[in-house]
Amino acid sequence: MSAPPRPLRKVLVANRGEIAVRVVRACRELGIASVAVYSEADRAALHVRFADEAVAIGPAPSPESYLRSDRLIDAALRTGADAVHPGYGFLAENAGFARACADAGLVFIGPRPETIALMGEKTSARREALAAGVPVVPGTFEPLGDEAHVLSEAARLGYPVMLKAAAGGGGKGLRLVASAAELPSALARARSEAQGAFGDDRVYLEKAVERPRHVEIQVLGDAHGHVVHLFERECSIQRRHQKLIEESPSPLLTPALRARMGSLAVALAQRVGYLGAGTLEFLVGAEGEPYFLEMNTRLQVEHPVTELVTGLDLVKLQISVAQGEPLPFAQEAVLQRGHAIECRVYAEDPDAGFLPSPGRILALRAPAGPGVRDDSGVYEGWQVPIHYDSLLSKLVVWAGTRAEAIARLRRAVSEYRVLGVRTTLPLFERVLRHPAFVAGDFDTSFLETALRQEPVPHPRALDVAVAAAAIHAFRARQTSRPQAPGPAAAASGWRRAALREGLQTRLGG
Amino acid sequence: MLFDATVDGRTLRVEVRAANGRYAVVVDGRPLQVDLVEAGGAFASLLVDGHSHEVAFEPQPGGLRVHLRDDVVAVGLADAASGAASPLRRASGPARVLAPMPGRVVRLLVAPGADAEAGQGLLVIEAMKMENELKAPRGGRVLELAVREGQAVEAGALLLVIA
Repeated sequence: MSAPPRPLRKVLVANRGEIAVRVVRACRELGIASVAVYSEADRAALHVRFADEAVAIGPAPSPESYLRSDRLIDAALRTGADAVHPGYGFLAENAGFARACADAGLVFIGPRPETIALMGEKTSARREALAAGVPVVPGTFEPLGDEAHVLSEAARLGYPVMLKAAAGGGGKGLRLVASAAELPSALARARSEAQGAFGDDRVYLEKAVERPRHVEIQVLGDAHGHVVHLFERECSIQRRHQKLIEESPSPLLTPALRARMGSLAVALAQRVGYLGAGTLEFLVGAEGEPYFLEMNTRLQVEHPVTELVTGLDLVKLQISVAQGEPLPFAQEAVLQRGHAIECRVYAEDPDAGFLPSPGRILALRAPAGPGVRDDSGVYEGWQVPIHYDSLLSKLVVWAGTRAEAIARLRRAVSEYRVLGVRTTLPLFERVLRHPAFVAGDFDTSFLETALRQEPVPHPRALDVAVAAAAIHAFRARQTSRPQAPGPAAAASGWRRAALREGLQTRLGG
Repeated sequence: MLFDATVDGRTLRVEVRAANGRYAVVVDGRPLQVDLVEAGGAFASLLVDGHSHEVAFEPQPGGLRVHLRDDVVAVGLADAASGAASPLRRASGPARVLAPMPGRVVRLLVAPGADAEAGQGLLVIEAMKMENELKAPRGGRVLELAVREGQAVEAGALLLVIA
């Protein structure tokens, strides 16, 4: 069933931002040429600058560029690429795109189209899990019909329930419903959100798990039927059902539970003939019972956490198994060493409900030093576009123990400076000092509950900030005289100072 | 040079003098000896009484966001009126509350004629999608409200008077 190994010479990266940079880097290390694609908003993006070749694929909105399967395949054929790496998001879990690549004679670096289709529809993934003996959250195993059907199934399960998009992912079309009275409006919103995000408004139900933790298992399969797991990632620090901080090992898992979840994941991946890198997401309830949630049939945003504790390069391994090579190691050889934590630096304002904050990056300094990795897709001077996901970079640290890793991440966050756009960095400063996080005692509601209700007191150096600002103003006045004093002039003086320094203030609200 | 700096909802009088390549700064009556040198782009290195602080300056309308090692502090800045002692700082007499930054008045928290305690929220100004609550510099009666909800204001505009 497996084709003979076919070395890849040129890979088209059908993505943008930090993940495109990540794939280009792996290609360069492997001596494989890389082709970037870019929309009109991304001509000067970092992934274009790092790649060997680059092809324009259309206007800024992603439906006209990064989601245009035809243009991506055309770009691959025109540049003589022999494979396509989809990254995550965009077309990464689109079975039609994987099939179109194969039909064009291109290697799709990911699972087979049938696997993507089977595991991408959440209720068929739940049926597969059940058949493989993997526990799932009680719920429905088919998409639901009309409102009356949803109401009767919810009543059977008992409230609270989670309403989920069958084609779902990324928190879209997801609603926690506490009672029958809330269900009709939640159903309408979930359906419209799912239709908008996936072009598919089918939903299903799961019983809501109390105080859940989100723990996922990384798997890797080759074309010869071997599947291994690369241990877990703890992903319970979330906002709007989207992850912000991930770590491995999970402070929650006992060795027995870790081994059990690993073998459950391998059993399910083996059952569906999994090829490449994939992730099985589980909820772990308050009593430590794991429930399969869904499978992501692609490289995960947080894959560096696994790379740092296992010493493996997941992108290189994806390429290797896509070439038809067998996995170069057995399960027993994979070790989880030390502790890794990642925090996602988004251009969002954590103090304003995570409002997106696009704009020009006026200044940027990434942290460095021992045990620090910054997977970034941006640079100083880059205009963060309004059209795409707001992830700027992933800051990941490794250390011998969890306590050392937290201290190292705090140190790295304190070195990280991003000016011009708001970022989630100040939030990490607060999370990493919070006793519940430090103790490993948290669940997916941490940001909304513990952090909000018991913020850590933080002595602020306000006098230093005020003195620094006043000296800055003093120096600006000294170099911009003559100028009438007065508060109104002060404001315009600031604008002049900003222009003089080649800076651009964000004019808003 | 005198400034009115607004930070964390409070307005502080700040005096800056250059002295021997350093700066003598008085923040709300507290003297600081500051050695500030530029350190590339938006960055500066500060030594304050031997303590090293790295700061980065991000301009915003009406002031600066000052990035410190573990914190980001929004500082609204306005020239203090002609070097005279700030009306806000006086213990008696009417206190004129001025807009620390250009923005929009989102909410009035007091009515004319109401009694306000020192530190009580007076009104909320929004700038750059951020809402900032201005607090009473001292206790007293709200004599005059010079703005209404929804109104755009320039930095330094009179908002209300407390006596």
